[in-house]
Amino acid sequence: MSEKYLAQPDLAFIDEVVGFGAEDLKKCYQCATCSVACPIAPDNSPFPRKEMIAASWGLKDKLISNGDIWLCHQCGDCSDLCPRDAKPGDVLAAVRYAAINEYAQPKFLANAVKDPKKLPFLLGIPAIWFAILAYITMTGGDAMTKLFHNFGLEWSHGGHDVIAHANFISTWFVDLTFVPLAAFVVIVFGLGLKRFVADIHANAVAEGKTDKKTLDLKGFFQAIIKVLPTVLKHDKFNECTTNQDRATPHMMVLYSFIGLFVVTNIFFVVLYVFHLPGPYSQLNPVKWLANISGAALVIGSVLMIKNRMDKKDQVSSYKDWYILGLVLALGVTGLLTEMSRLAGSEYISYFIYYLHLIAIFNLFAFLPFSKMAHLVYRFTAMSYAEYGNRK
Amino acid sequence: MDKKYGVYICTGCSIGDVLDMEDLVDVPDEEGVNCTTHPFLCSKEGVAMIQKDVDDGKVNAMVIGACSRRVNFDVFDFDNCIVERVNLREGVVWPHSREKYPALTEDQKDDEEHFDQIQMKAEDHIKMGMIRVEKVKLPEPFKTETFSKKILVLGGGITGISSALDAAKAGYEVTIVEKTNALGGYAARMRSQMPVVEPFDALIPTVIQDKLAELEQYPNIEVKTGTEVARIAGQPGEFTVTFKKPGEKIPFDVPFPLPEEMTLDEKGNELDAETQHAKYLEYNEGREDILQLDPDGELYGAVILAAGWRPDKIEGDAYAHLGIDLPDVITNDEFEKIAAKGKIVRPSDGKEAKSVVFIQSPGKDEDDADFPYCGAVTSQVALKQAKYVRDDYPDGKAYIIYQHMRTPGLQENFYKGIQQDRGIFMSKGAVTEVSKSGDNLIVEATNTLLGDNLNLKADLVVLASGMVPVTVDDPVVNLAYRQGPGFRDNDIFGGYADSNYICFPYETQRTGIYAAGAIRRSMTIEESMEDATGAALKAIQCISSADRGVAVHPRSGDQTYPEFFFQRCTQCKRCTVECPFGALDDDEKGTPKINPTRCRRCGTCMGACPERIISFADYTIDSIGSQIKAIGVPSEDDYDEPPFRILALVCENDAYPALDMVGMNRVDYSPDVRVIPVRCLGSVNTIWIKDALAQGMDGVILIGCKHGDDYQCHFVKGSELAEVRVKKIGDALSSLALEEERVRFEEIAIDEYDKLPGLLSDFVEEIEDLGPNPFKGF
Repeated sequence: MSEKYLAQPDLAFIDEVVGFGAEDLKKCYQCATCSVACPIAPDNSPFPRKEMIAASWGLKDKLISNGDIWLCHQCGDCSDLCPRDAKPGDVLAAVRYAAINEYAQPKFLANAVKDPKKLPFLLGIPAIWFAILAYITMTGGDAMTKLFHNFGLEWSHGGHDVIAHANFISTWFVDLTFVPLAAFVVIVFGLGLKRFVADIHANAVAEGKTDKKTLDLKGFFQAIIKVLPTVLKHDKFNECTTNQDRATPHMMVLYSFIGLFVVTNIFFVVLYVFHLPGPYSQLNPVKWLANISGAALVIGSVLMIKNRMDKKDQVSSYKDWYILGLVLALGVTGLLTEMSRLAGSEYISYFIYYLHLIAIFNLFAFLPFSKMAHLVYRFTAMSYAEYGNRK
Repeated sequence: MDKKYGVYICTGCSIGDVLDMEDLVDVPDEEGVNCTTHPFLCSKEGVAMIQKDVDDGKVNAMVIGACSRRVNFDVFDFDNCIVERVNLREGVVWPHSREKYPALTEDQKDDEEHFDQIQMKAEDHIKMGMIRVEKVKLPEPFKTETFSKKILVLGGGITGISSALDAAKAGYEVTIVEKTNALGGYAARMRSQMPVVEPFDALIPTVIQDKLAELEQYPNIEVKTGTEVARIAGQPGEFTVTFKKPGEKIPFDVPFPLPEEMTLDEKGNELDAETQHAKYLEYNEGREDILQLDPDGELYGAVILAAGWRPDKIEGDAYAHLGIDLPDVITNDEFEKIAAKGKIVRPSDGKEAKSVVFIQSPGKDEDDADFPYCGAVTSQVALKQAKYVRDDYPDGKAYIIYQHMRTPGLQENFYKGIQQDRGIFMSKGAVTEVSKSGDNLIVEATNTLLGDNLNLKADLVVLASGMVPVTVDDPVVNLAYRQGPGFRDNDIFGGYADSNYICFPYETQRTGIYAAGAIRRSMTIEESMEDATGAALKAIQCISSADRGVAVHPRSGDQTYPEFFFQRCTQCKRCTVECPFGALDDDEKGTPKINPTRCRRCGTCMGACPERIISFADYTIDSIGSQIKAIGVPSEDDYDEPPFRILALVCENDAYPALDMVGMNRVDYSPDVRVIPVRCLGSVNTIWIKDALAQGMDGVILIGCKHGDDYQCHFVKGSELAEVRVKKIGDALSSLALEEERVRFEEIAIDEYDKLPGLLSDFVEEIEDLGPNPFKGF
């Protein structure tokens, strides 16, 4: 017997989750068809039946800290078979987004990312920032060269006879923007994850979903190593059989991000350690990886958007479109920047590069607050499930 | 009636292929009765042939050997003729095939070794049919001396008003009697109600005001408020009704029968009739006897009982864990009263009740039973009242903890509609404890959809108390019947006024009294209004049938009624007591008085009578007895190993059609069984069983409807009484040195027809093991 549980429904939480795309959650009448239909729900307290009632009761405490919501890969089998059309798959997606929102700090950023009305600000801030940087780069070259010489550094990374984006916005400026931003993202995630792991563990113990009493970090890291190939191969994703048309685009996007991450880091080293500024030759194998990743990102995100648009019965809310739009914009502006550069249209290329930077900024800075954060939370929750013997 | 006999045998539907028609025709021929065969008797030509004989005055009492009487009854219907249908098709040639029972060769016909079981069965059944038409009379319908077509409605709530409107629309004069001083009933005291029309998804204002307004438009509806019924005497078509003010004591208050303990002397022996009568008079002093009609009484044809319900009291140790003594633990009825007054507040301190827990079942995790007299209504009321909380407070929370959430039919839309409210939370669960904690109540529940040990904080707790039919407390109808003023066997129906809720809705155990609304089952307003229509139509049917002198139900159109040969009556009162419908009264000596329009023609009195003086025009002790005697019982004088003979007395309501279905499915059973349909097993007089055994038949089986919990008897008590009687016959049999096992009682439901062949064959096998009846051949 578990401890006494005092249910304290939170009406505002219900409204919030409904707003995130769980508009039919109150239709559930607890037949548990969803839990039976789910190809990956564990035998012991399977989901999403219990999540459905917790959501319709507004029991935030039972959902936000519930590791199970992250085990779902949203194949939609439950929603297809739901006799009341309560769409459990979409409810879980909405609850996951509510959880991301809950763990992300600072709150004002989390609130801005989930609110479509704040989108102009989210886009406007980097737009103004990069406009200023571009202005300084374009007009203040001499002053900056002097300034940098004082520190013994070379200001310009740009070439003089080719179109180089460093001549538009200095690589120094770009990196001085994104490196601290990366640190910020890591800190936000770190703080969120610390609470998250403690919470899902406490929840699993309370609901009898684990055989572990305490959280042992060594064991947890071993679990992470074990789960990594599963994630990379999309094994769980593919267990949801109706999901396979979604698995490939999702995999393309994931691998292209990994590819672009590798490329960015290599070129970072090349630039700052070997002092070889871009643009780099198209024959360079790292460039190949960059181009392939860029193409995969565009194709993958287009397929995902198409998938969502085709599925009339699936709920797609702002949280989904924001992130998909961003990913597509990122890929498209990236490729177009390169193509226009090769075509010799200098100012077109610079302008697209400017847009590209805005997209990157949005994706990057708001990573812990957007739906994209699932990559961290889901991976952590899957690792915890492995660690906690969730079966 | 000067009977002119004729036998018609159809050779179609494989009857002619299986049976030796020459031998079969010989049966009536030997009796000097004309027998005609026809290849397609139910065709136009076949019927015209019979009609011509009727028109020519050649025949008015006929045996038709063809299909079962359950089919083509409208085809073989000849005015002023006695018609007996012999079931050669479903009963003989369809269940028994020639593959299994080959026809005899010419040589075999005359030896003492071979016999043709199918042919024997067919010939016996023709003989049985012939003797029956000889023994029965053409019925003449009974007419009451006075007759009223007025309808009396008891109860001025939504049901009573609705049925009065329906009856008035059909052109009948109606009187509504309401005990309180205003019409409207409970519906008039509610805040809102469940939906009654499409799309059935939200609360609506109560419809009672519209109904009351509609009532004004019908001058043929008379309303008597502040009035109740002192007694209803007489019978359908001529009920004499005495009204009075509630609480008043008048001479025509209905007398009650003596309680059983007062019918016994100190030693526990039953008192004689005269002493009992004296005691009865003393017990009912100041009240006129039931047979005394009120000269000032008003005459009515039929009664609609719509007296409704009262909220159940939730009290006692069984509910102690629900905190029933706490001021803020109330019933749904008390909650409705608060809601009707204004915002939902706590009775203890008048504070706003923003968190309300509705408990639908007593819980305790012992069983999942709801509170007594609950049903779909209490589920829907919880949904409705949860919505009140939300309507009153935007931040209100309403919880419903149920074991059953019943929202039948389109009320499912209502459930769906209410479910959409963000602040209404439902879970199955067993409530284990309601306790006070500071200013709040804590409701503890286990086995919920949210896991074990769920706790809820509440300002107010509402218990789903049931709707107790008022017939539980009081007879209400106050019938001046010898069996008593109320319904005798309501305990079978959990206290509700009913007689067979599956087959005969609205019918109570008293003919002419039709129940509607919550007196019959817990019902919503929507259901009550529909129910009211049903009861109104039933009352009209009753009046119309009584007017024509025929039975209303279940033997609709039957013109017969029990007739008594009083010279031999011993005033044993068995008929009066055992009649499931209280149709018989008696005078101070105990002589029965028949009220034919109360009668449902089941024949239970005929089965009860030890003197065998009760009969119906076409159904008598002698007619069935003679049919039994007509069955040929071959003995060792006839054959080396004579076949066994088994008599099956089969209830015509379910068992007989089930046996027809066995035939239609061509399933074989022992062809040594001879089947006689009876009106109800209650009408089986044990003399038939004794006669059958005395003439050498090897066994008797009675097949009727289920009684007890799975009760299906069409006459409430018939099959139950028959079983008691069969048990008692055992002693008589052993005095004749016959085994008790030779008589068997079986119950069957119509959907269990597939069990019948096995059941019959098993019985025959058992009888064969016992050996032949030693009386055979005497």
